[in-house]
Amino acid sequence: MAESAAWVLALDHQLRAAVGEREMAHLIEAPTLLEVPRSPFYCWQVLVWNETVLPAMDLAAWLRGQPMQRQQPLAGVFAYQTRPGADPEYGALLLSGIPTRTRVDDDQVCALPKQPSSWQTLAISCFRQGDQPIPILDLPYIFSGGLL
Amino acid sequence: MALADLQATRAFAVLTLDGRKWLLPQAEIQALESLLDIDREVRIPHSVGAVAFAGEWWPVYCLSGELQLLQRPPDGRRACPLLDNGADRFGLVCDQVETLTVAPRLLAPPACMALPDSPIQALVLLNDELGCVTTTEHLAALLAAVVENVDG
Repeated sequence: MAESAAWVLALDHQLRAAVGEREMAHLIEAPTLLEVPRSPFYCWQVLVWNETVLPAMDLAAWLRGQPMQRQQPLAGVFAYQTRPGADPEYGALLLSGIPTRTRVDDDQVCALPKQPSSWQTLAISCFRQGDQPIPILDLPYIFSGGLL
Repeated sequence: MALADLQATRAFAVLTLDGRKWLLPQAEIQALESLLDIDREVRIPHSVGAVAFAGEWWPVYCLSGELQLLQRPPDGRRACPLLDNGADRFGLVCDQVETLTVAPRLLAPPACMALPDSPIQALVLLNDELGCVTTTEHLAALLAAVVENVDG
């Protein structure tokens, strides 16, 4: 039985998702977010990180189909590769809480949540933690423009 | 003009619209006029008037900081650069126009933010602010699309 480590992310007060342990690079409390005009409602800000700008993606807004008000923003910086062997690229996700680390066994695999139905666009798989299904995010797809 | 061409551009003008900073190649700024030079009686559809320059009438448009077409200039607009890339010629009323003294480092817009019709070709960090790089060509295309939507 294979076991691996993951980070469970709070996308908002209710929605949870996970990424692989090595995909989360940094966590920024109260990030300085800069608005980019004429950008999607779920990704209309960037944050400055390591002398470059990263998209600040609000997946909860995308899943719910409307912009979200965030009181105390928290941003996670995540690494992804668009193909094997490629240099890592980075993007940020807006979060509602500090990510929690967990270990996942193969026997925890489960179906994606039925609602919101758009989970199937974002997720490559899903595991169960207690009673809650936790979709695993497809970061290359999300940050490469797959949601446009 | 592609990102690679823009990266070879040394001089940029910063056009401030409602506090937002839009950068264009300095070479595309043909002249800088005052709002007092705009003849509001010369009615070109969706423009706020026109400026007589080099023997021609140049239509002048007013855009918000988000590049939405406005029917009249908001308070605070003081300058009117005339943009010319050889194919498109028009004026744009701005809060302010400055020239960057140092060539900025252009950053590609994140792929997940680039809407198909976005005029933003690059992003630039200007101290604690973000500037958006565009060109006269992209602004002209945006104006044409906006006018078509309004008329359509």
